Amino acid sequence: MSKNNCAVVGVGQTKYQTTRGDVSMAGLVREAAYRALEDAEMSWSDIDAVVIGKAPDFFEGVMMPEIYLAEALGCAGKPILRVHTAGSVGGSTALVATSLIQAGIHERVLTLGFEKQSESNATWALSLPQPFSVSINAGAGGYFSPIIRQYMIESAAPELIGCMVAFKDRQHALRNPYAHLHQHDLTFDQVVEAPMLWEPIRYSETCPSSDGACAMVLGSESVGDASSKPVAWVQGTSMRSEANTFPGRNEVNPRASRECADDVFSQAGITDRRREIDVVEMYVPFSWYEPMWLESLGFAEIGEGWKMVEEGATHIDGGDLPVNCSGGVLSTNPIGASGMIRFAEAALQVRQMAGEHQVDGVQRSLGHAYGGGAQYFAMWILGDTKP
Amino acid sequence: MNEERLRADLVLEYPFTRTTGPVIGAFMTGLREGIIIGIRRADGTVVVPPLEYDPTSADPLTELVTVGQAGVVESWTWVDPPREQSPWQQPHGLALIHLDGADTPLLHGVLVNSADAMSTGMRVVAKFRAEREGHISDIEGFVPEESVQ
Repeated sequence: MSKNNCAVVGVGQTKYQTTRGDVSMAGLVREAAYRALEDAEMSWSDIDAVVIGKAPDFFEGVMMPEIYLAEALGCAGKPILRVHTAGSVGGSTALVATSLIQAGIHERVLTLGFEKQSESNATWALSLPQPFSVSINAGAGGYFSPIIRQYMIESAAPELIGCMVAFKDRQHALRNPYAHLHQHDLTFDQVVEAPMLWEPIRYSETCPSSDGACAMVLGSESVGDASSKPVAWVQGTSMRSEANTFPGRNEVNPRASRECADDVFSQAGITDRRREIDVVEMYVPFSWYEPMWLESLGFAEIGEGWKMVEEGATHIDGGDLPVNCSGGVLSTNPIGASGMIRFAEAALQVRQMAGEHQVDGVQRSLGHAYGGGAQYFAMWILGDTKP
Repeated sequence: MNEERLRADLVLEYPFTRTTGPVIGAFMTGLREGIIIGIRRADGTVVVPPLEYDPTSADPLTELVTVGQAGVVESWTWVDPPREQSPWQQPHGLALIHLDGADTPLLHGVLVNSADAMSTGMRVVAKFRAEREGHISDIEGFVPEESVQ
């Protein structure tokens, strides 16, 4: 089955922060979308369709906000499509937009993810009781902490690996002007000494709550060829889902994650994953998910992911597989945008446009997002050449 | 068919806040001050309530305009009885009101005693509450213009 080529030709982000009290939801998405258009050297009229994603509507309590946001996104009289896949939604949204280009339906698609967490309470929104089903009423941290504990037991990882990830990502964030957390004076000891929130997850090992939006302009092969700036070519895309509870489920390393990774690497013709990928933006809202996903994505053997962290392999300075050079979800989390940010940062790295957190000589990058109870997965591989 | 059904109450409740931004915020602030604000498009027409972005060109809109507090009923329906959560507990009109100086109608209640008092083309005027907080309900409703003259 042949697909048309698709390229990322524009990226736009807002500054991420706790509260964007100066703009409405429409003003927030507009800012990111406009910057993506500027980067792509396009105007609203050049865009054929908009694909938008965010976390569930009850996060902000605006039902079907895509309808109200269409005008802010220059979408009057054009198709607008909303994607829903919980925390992975930013990634899935980009992939749906990609498929519209690959299928030859559109030439230029604007895709955007956003969240205005300041207007809501995500912990409550994630803990809604549902009739006739078990509610753990735990929020995300309470849900993931026993899974992380399970990984620590199975892998016999040293206790401070999670702190190393958190400290690394906060250091990376200092090089990204858009990142929410800029903790200039943070020390490793402070990360370790932070209060235990959901044992074994410390406060310092969790993501912040952010307002923000991230947008990309995707184009067809002819649009990519015509760009005056470097573009990132899509070399593989994959999505997988599974139920969050079923007997025998591997919650540490879900099957949907492994199969999604196998699919995307196979499409890109990659056999030696660690050597052939130059930089990774993965969805790590709690520090321990970095070694867990390194294993699930096949960058490390099962039980060995933590060793890459310990060796500094994922650090932007000197690491052979830098992970989350932007600071990652641990430094910025507007939930519905967080997956899109991973995908967009992967594009910036391939385009050599990541600024201070650019890794030298990136030819191929992986963007990764997950959501729900680690049950929805979205991934893409980008390269500086056409597939 | 099994007539026994599982039933469970489900109440979802937690507070939201809203950042209104420069345009919707101006409209809300106007209501608190007892005025109605619209916004001018490039073609000179005025939209009420104001929009942040032009619905056709997508250009940002910035020229706030104070419109009249009275206007003409373009279309209406009679609500009887009002639902429990309606802002009005008495039977009332619900009308698209073309305010003086505006080019789009505003939806609001018309406070009259019966449908016989409603007609397309009738002139109505906003009745503001004495205590206002920056909310659309700062306008209690619209009343026939002749009743306040």
